[in-house]
Amino acid sequence: MLSLLITIPILGILFITIIPEYKVNLIKQVALITSIFTFITSLFLWVLFDNSSSKFQYIEHYSWMSLFNVHFFLGIDGISLFFIILSTFLVFICILNSWLSIKKHQKKYYICFLLMSSFLIVVFSVLDVIIFYIFFESILIPMFLIIGVWGSRTRKLKAAYQFFLYTLIGSLFMLLAIFYMFFETGSTDFQILNSFLFSEEKELLLWLAFFLSFSVKVPMVPVHIWLPEAHVEAPTSGSVILAGILLKMGTYGLLRFSLSLFPYASVYFAPLVFTLSIIAVVYTSLTTLRQIDLKKIIAYSSVAHMAFVTIGIFTFNIYGIEGSLLIMLSHGFISSALFLCVGVLYDRHHTRLIKYYSGLTQVMPLYSFFFVFFSMANLGFPGTSSFAGEFLTLIGSFHTNTTITFLASTGMILGAGYSLWLCNRILFGPITITYITQYNDISFRELAVLTPLLLCTLWMGIYPEVFLEPMHLTISNLLQKI
Amino acid sequence: MNFLLSNNDYLSILPELFLFSSLNLILIYSVIYCTSPLLDFPILINNISWLSIQTLIIVLLLNINNYCCNITIFNNFLIIDTFGNLIKTFVLISTISIFFMSLNYNKYEFINNFEFPLLVILTILGTVLLISSYDLISMYLALELQSFCSYILSAFKRNSEFSAESGLKYFILGAFSSGFLLFGCSLIYGFTGTTNYEQISLLLIDIDHNYTNNNGIIVGSVFILISFLFKLSAAPFHLWSPDIYEGSPTIITAFFAIVPKIGLLVFFLRLFFDPLYALFISWESVLLIASISSMIIGSFGAIWQIKLKRLLAFSAIGHVGYMLIALCCCSIESIYSLIFYSIIYITMSISSFSLLLIIRRNDNLKRIKYIEDLTIIAKSNPFMGICFAITFFSIAGVPPLAGFFSKMFLFFSAISQSAYFLSIVGVLTSVVSCFYYLRIIQVTYFEQSGQWITLKKVNKETSILLSVSCLILVVFFIHPNLLIISIHNSIINLCI
Repeated sequence: MLSLLITIPILGILFITIIPEYKVNLIKQVALITSIFTFITSLFLWVLFDNSSSKFQYIEHYSWMSLFNVHFFLGIDGISLFFIILSTFLVFICILNSWLSIKKHQKKYYICFLLMSSFLIVVFSVLDVIIFYIFFESILIPMFLIIGVWGSRTRKLKAAYQFFLYTLIGSLFMLLAIFYMFFETGSTDFQILNSFLFSEEKELLLWLAFFLSFSVKVPMVPVHIWLPEAHVEAPTSGSVILAGILLKMGTYGLLRFSLSLFPYASVYFAPLVFTLSIIAVVYTSLTTLRQIDLKKIIAYSSVAHMAFVTIGIFTFNIYGIEGSLLIMLSHGFISSALFLCVGVLYDRHHTRLIKYYSGLTQVMPLYSFFFVFFSMANLGFPGTSSFAGEFLTLIGSFHTNTTITFLASTGMILGAGYSLWLCNRILFGPITITYITQYNDISFRELAVLTPLLLCTLWMGIYPEVFLEPMHLTISNLLQKI
Repeated sequence: MNFLLSNNDYLSILPELFLFSSLNLILIYSVIYCTSPLLDFPILINNISWLSIQTLIIVLLLNINNYCCNITIFNNFLIIDTFGNLIKTFVLISTISIFFMSLNYNKYEFINNFEFPLLVILTILGTVLLISSYDLISMYLALELQSFCSYILSAFKRNSEFSAESGLKYFILGAFSSGFLLFGCSLIYGFTGTTNYEQISLLLIDIDHNYTNNNGIIVGSVFILISFLFKLSAAPFHLWSPDIYEGSPTIITAFFAIVPKIGLLVFFLRLFFDPLYALFISWESVLLIASISSMIIGSFGAIWQIKLKRLLAFSAIGHVGYMLIALCCCSIESIYSLIFYSIIYITMSISSFSLLLIIRRNDNLKRIKYIEDLTIIAKSNPFMGICFAITFFSIAGVPPLAGFFSKMFLFFSAISQSAYFLSIVGVLTSVVSCFYYLRIIQVTYFEQSGQWITLKKVNKETSILLSVSCLILVVFFIHPNLLIISIHNSIINLCI
């Protein structure tokens, strides 16, 4: 089942490569159909998922580099299930969204997206550390090209380099750590490593090497510099996939590898993570207030939300971790939707500076509805998905450390501040006729892109138990170890 | 000493004998024909190139089917084993690909001298003999054969100042390093009384490190080591390499980058991992310094280059630094990773140099020289642009391309020998080097020139070469066992 899911986008790519470049519509249709198929297939994973088991399911095993005892070992549990569905879903959204806005090298663009969806599925389903690393890094290639080739301004070069080099420098240390583990245990299989206990000093060093890599991806505060740049310069769909899924690879890695392979070190370093996360929450929320670029605002608010996630993960109780998983999923919907909203404006007027927009409610009512809804969701309004997640996370951290809870909740207040102020500035007030003269509301295609995200956000906010159910056993099993 | 030679001796060097005799035949043929007034002094270069390709293919087949295994021949002068045969196979394949590239190059650069293929074959003969040499004398002779032909080749374009300069530079410095080599060999001979590897290793097997009489051997081995590092263009001895890479005709640059390195590495493995292994402590630190400085100079030096060939020269220095990591570690894994690294490196160099050689503008037939010129590619020839991206992502070591796996095995062998400092330096410099490899991709894809420039049509041979090497880089991930196991088997043989 999983290998089928991985091969569907690859088949799509092979099919696209034989279509000549000038048949643009056919290329788009093939890409869209492939992504829909992938999404539907991934939904079957959820339907057939056995909630009453904490073991890995849909296990597949292929011999790969048998001389070094490295095997292609696939399997998912409650943690990875929703990431796979989220990634296939967002790739579908991205392909639909870039229908008209991408005007050059279309063939390569869709190949990049399909390739990325295939890589992402491997990242979230593989149970071998080396292969996880390989695909974790592989995503750099399509993403680097997406930022660099289809980005909008000349600053994209800096953004693409920063994205690439920051990630690379972090991950290479993880590679060395993986070699060390392989050298110690003779295997890179996750389940075998999981049953192996490293000595405490070694565990601390290995944890740091892994953390360096994941914290760049999350991103934690000192190494978050690449994120606003990359988000701003990437095309809309690139930002969506970056915020929606690529950031989650970092937190997924923390949850799957750091927590269960190095339980002692995770507990030991939890104060460090808390400190960095709190700094991230307060600092980036404050930074958001003074940004003038629409995408940068959403990018910085992503950093704040991801800091919430790391707080949740390192509370080491079931509320915190499930809450953080919910935040990850809801952030995948909400920030993607906000980027799409910005993209709608950018496609029409080719600027992202707040200064040029005002009073959009009067001329783009439908758009304003979506924008207000997702801004509310972003600040954690009850009834939307991020409320459920943040609520659980705060409960979890309250069990561990009340100061952290207090400081983290200031982030929610500041979040309300920037979200509402942003809405206020671009949606209400007088229409700025001096700058922009032509307005038209969102088209049917854009409606089709935004509506599923809205429904998902509401669904997860009103009845989150559907999403939590498959996680329960996996996470309580994970917590047994700590 | 027994001067009788058995049948086996001739049988086992059949490939070399065939190569040598067919070289002579081609030489006679070409000399007679090109001076014939009846045929109006024909230009034979294309003909001779195809003949050489044919010869090399036959040699390749002979080499693959060589049944003699693990024997020393000609009174322990040469050794024939599966390891050597594997390396020879790769050397021959890479030379054939050089000839494929040269067909197009000769046509547009008007290289009409038939000596070029013959000199290349002579160099290959030297490399092949170097790979199987098992005695200091045969090693020196083979190495000199290889180097002398290289000097001539780098000065091959007689009407170019750059080429003449690089040839002279290469000759003077190369002769100097050969002097070092010879001096080292004679010191070792003076202190052990033998030139045979096996006898040296028997003598040194229980060497006393505090015994001062051994200093001669240690000094001799360091001299040999320096000469080896020079020929490999490792860092403190690298200064000739960018100039010579730049000055030589590009096809010769490609040849220098691709073919001789692996032969030199095998020479090192045979000499230092067997007879001089007892002195490991004395030469390890030299290699360590050379490795670290090559990695640093290779990665930082390339950042400011604007010419593609100089950039590739610095990148080659960096890659030599990575190869030296494996030599420092001195274990079965490291030999394995070294051979693997060099094979993947050869593949990547073949694809990058064939790209460099075939991009020619239609209007003035000039090859591209500067990195900035690459802006025209993605638009004019998208397929070539993709090949550029694949090749340079692979050289940068981004998974899942083959270049990543070569680095991965290397760092793995370093970690398994607890060489943490080396591996951390390697990791950091590889990030730095990523920067300039990415720059090439950036120039190809991100900044597109407004004007439309058409490129010359690529000839069939080079395009097949290019697509096969790029395909190997991409597809290697799917089934890595094929290459891994074949290398592994031959290494096991070497170690036993």
